[in-house]
Amino acid sequence: MYRHIQNIVLIFALLIGALSASAEMTSLSDNDLSEVDGAGIGLVMDDFVFSAGNNPSEDKIFKITGIKSLEGDDVVINVNQLYVARSGSNYGTNLEGVNLGRLTNPYEIDLIDGDDIGLNGEAVLQLSAPTKVDQAQGYDCLNVNAVQGSGTCSSRPSSTAWINGERPDMGLELELNVGTEAPKNLNFNVKSAVFDGSYLRLWGDENENKMAAEFRLNFYTPELEISTCSQSNQGCSSAIKMQDFQLELALGNTFQPLYIGVDNVSGGLTLEIAKITHEYINNIDLATGVSDGSAQGDQAYVFFDDFYTNDAYRSNVQIGNLDIGGTSLGSSKVEGILIQYLDVKFRDLAP
Amino acid sequence: MRKFLIQKVVLMVSLLCSYTVMAELESIDDKELSSVTGQAGVYLTGEVSINEEGGPLENSYFGSCSDASKKCGARLSFQTQQNGGWFVLDNIKGSISFEGLTFEVRNISSGFGGDGALFNRDVMEIGLPESIRMNDFQYTLATGSSSRPTDGAYKQVDLMTVEMSGDLTLQGNLLVFPTP
Repeated sequence: MYRHIQNIVLIFALLIGALSASAEMTSLSDNDLSEVDGAGIGLVMDDFVFSAGNNPSEDKIFKITGIKSLEGDDVVINVNQLYVARSGSNYGTNLEGVNLGRLTNPYEIDLIDGDDIGLNGEAVLQLSAPTKVDQAQGYDCLNVNAVQGSGTCSSRPSSTAWINGERPDMGLELELNVGTEAPKNLNFNVKSAVFDGSYLRLWGDENENKMAAEFRLNFYTPELEISTCSQSNQGCSSAIKMQDFQLELALGNTFQPLYIGVDNVSGGLTLEIAKITHEYINNIDLATGVSDGSAQGDQAYVFFDDFYTNDAYRSNVQIGNLDIGGTSLGSSKVEGILIQYLDVKFRDLAP
Repeated sequence: MRKFLIQKVVLMVSLLCSYTVMAELESIDDKELSSVTGQAGVYLTGEVSINEEGGPLENSYFGSCSDASKKCGARLSFQTQQNGGWFVLDNIKGSISFEGLTFEVRNISSGFGGDGALFNRDVMEIGLPESIRMNDFQYTLATGSSSRPTDGAYKQVDLMTVEMSGDLTLQGNLLVFPTP
């Protein structure tokens, strides 16, 4: 009996403790929850410079190996310089800090609700560059002297008022050594680059049991230069200059995801974009493209009409002026590229 | 029996004490928080070494770094499709040393071409070391037919090997903050 009383006292004490603890917890209303921030993570690089390169005289090694030519010779690629720096770097010789992303429009890592982008019930991981903005707030995507109100890009060029800017110069300068042949140079230099509006979305496709992706790459630069100049003479005339270069690449979308994988037999890389279809495609006359008059057919027609007219699913390439070795070839553009189906399999050519 | 009773009484007193301790917890308003002086941050210097002298495995694929027919670096493989092949980061080895990696909380209310005043919030600032030294660091990008190179009928396609040694420049601050 005495022991029984002890246990009751003990339980009573525990209940008092539990009661006092629960008194500190209050439920959150919808209104409270709506004020909770932190849906994503914003990333801004402030005063950023990256530079690395192969230079044996300074005990620096940066090379790519493991590649063979068609003749079976070893290919060694020395990376003479890889850099990211402020616009005006003069082929990476003047490295000053640049900002990547804006505090008010940063690079982001975000987990978004698939319901908002047409992927019902899916959680989607999104990695994104600064978004495009309204014309009144934005800057021309190509002009290095762009002012506010001149375009839809958020990233600003370097200026006297904001010296860092958010448009970096980038370069990759390579020296190719194939067997016993004399080294050859291949350089890629980009001035005042903008990636606004680019994003990568990843989610799990439950039907295919594959990681699905939607990749949008927007790339704007007043000059993209591909040259064979030596490391010490980057400004030589052996160059292809693409001025006012604009690339808007769309790979995959919510209806046709991009699947990136590896073949489980050959071990080769595979890229696949499923063909566009709709659950009521059979209610469309494939010869005339007209609905059969049913509600399902009308639904399918609206779907395909949007797919074939919506610019968001199409890729564009524009070059303001193409200059090869000092000879101007004028402007060129390829617009409205729509990928209907893609199935790419890589395989090793080595015996 | 008496000893057992004493133990329970002590336990009960402890619980009651915890109740009174909880009663001492009070919320801190923004004004009080603003008077709290934080630490300057964290300053790190270090070296990350991966299989610099070789790894622990010895089989038909992995082995001593002195054996040219074997891989002695670390290996990471991942799969993006069920029953598919594998992406591989193979033969990862070498070391990376750095000095002056910093972590601190920074209030931004000005600068950034006018964005600072609009932003006016705290961020986590990761200060990158100005110089990083790579010591015989290398890795191979590859794809493989299955997860382990010791699996039967395994086939691997090596895309390229990247080798780095010496100093490289990596300067600036990475600002991290929540977005709405």
